[in-house]
Amino acid sequence: MRYGLLATADPQTSIEWMIYLTKKYYRMFLDGTKLTLYIAVLGTLIGFVLGYVIGIIQDAKTGQGDNLLKKGCVRILKIIAAAYVEVFRDTPMIVQAMIIYYGIRQLGVDMMPVFAGILVTVLNTGAYMAETVRGGIGSIDIGQREGAWAMGMSPMKTMLYIVLPQAFKNIIPEMANTFLTNLKMTSVLNVIAVQELFMAAKTVGGNYYKYFESYLVIAVIYFVLCFLFNKLFNFLEKRLKGKTDYALAVEYMDNQ
Amino acid sequence: MGESIISIKELSKSFGDHEVLRKIDIDIDQGEIICIVGSSGSGKSTFLRCINKLEHQTSGRILYHGKEIRDVQREINEYRAKVGMVFQSFNLFNNMTVLQNCMICTRKVLHISKEEAFDRAITHLKEVGMAPFIHAKPSQLSGGQKQRVAIARSLCMNPEVLLFDEPTSALDPEMVGEVLNVMKNLATTGLTMIIVTHEMAFARDVSTRTIFMDRGYVAEDAPPSELFTRPKNPRTREFLSRYLAG
Repeated sequence: MRYGLLATADPQTSIEWMIYLTKKYYRMFLDGTKLTLYIAVLGTLIGFVLGYVIGIIQDAKTGQGDNLLKKGCVRILKIIAAAYVEVFRDTPMIVQAMIIYYGIRQLGVDMMPVFAGILVTVLNTGAYMAETVRGGIGSIDIGQREGAWAMGMSPMKTMLYIVLPQAFKNIIPEMANTFLTNLKMTSVLNVIAVQELFMAAKTVGGNYYKYFESYLVIAVIYFVLCFLFNKLFNFLEKRLKGKTDYALAVEYMDNQ
Repeated sequence: MGESIISIKELSKSFGDHEVLRKIDIDIDQGEIICIVGSSGSGKSTFLRCINKLEHQTSGRILYHGKEIRDVQREINEYRAKVGMVFQSFNLFNNMTVLQNCMICTRKVLHISKEEAFDRAITHLKEVGMAPFIHAKPSQLSGGQKQRVAIARSLCMNPEVLLFDEPTSALDPEMVGEVLNVMKNLATTGLTMIIVTHEMAFARDVSTRTIFMDRGYVAEDAPPSELFTRPKNPRTREFLSRYLAG
């Protein structure tokens, strides 16, 4: 170890302290970063799936001729979906984390904090994505569906092949946004003892009573991560726009 | 019982207090080319949308080969696969190329093989002169081209009846001809067609039967030779004189 506590080369300025802490505790910061990414990526992806399911349920319509069982089921599903979205959008994530973690522990289930962290992220993402998906579906002209229905395609297949692919494209920027929010919001999970990046800074800062420098280190890490992901999403979005020109199929030109 | 493909029995449709269709009775026979004309708001488009079940009738029945189409999704889907529709605003799927537009429904509704779906798509796209554009997206086509693709897409389902809801109303004047020509050619193939249109010359020349709708009623139903030259109903006369004068 190059720096002892009483060594003469002790760091003096904040910058020096940041370098010193990073070097000494790089393992903790690295593990924290990994866990933050792990929870954010997994929580967001599963949350997206949940959001799509809820969004589709909220958009579902029943016809006049459907039987009572189907009407009843759809209705109950819609009520559950609406209640879920409302509850998770109207409470802070940090409170949700506490309630879910301690609530499940009280039921006698021994749950890992990381698992609880992912669960909270999934449920939170799902609620916001449901609204985004609903908006995305609503932005697709009704004519797109009628075109498919008029040829006998079922409403479910129409949703799957015609509406969702177009809605998906429209809500990509919002999905990227949600991921970046999640990446930063994992920091609240330290309250249920998840060893993510914020928790690492808290621990490291406490060792030397250098909180300012320690949090500045993770601020840089959060910033760099978000910055890079932002660039990546912009790149992907451009790629997905696709070609603006097309090739004429000359082999079929003869009868023109 | 006749050989009607579709029989409409006392079909009525209201939007709230507004009665759009009032007790319409029509039989549609194999091979008929029926043009429906009338002023805006007379219920023509609503009538056509009711036939395809895009609108639910308030009362009345629709029989397909003598069998009533109930409001059950599966029955409606099977019926629609046989009774196609071409829209004023084309409604091509924007996320797909011309070729995919023509294959998706045959693949996912009729479950035919990829090869057969491709062959059908090319055959019908050739018919409407759009085969060279199979790789284009709808946004890259002109209105007339889009409508021709939409017609080809409907034909791929091998429908028994094809409904046209003002197919040329959204087109620039110079593109109307190309779409009407395609429809004229179709009329010679024996396909049963029901066409809501404002193109009086087309209705007179191509249809085998012209229906004049007025305020939700079928005011007159006659061969075009009669309806256009010796209209019986004074409302028909009034409507035609306005059209032919303008």
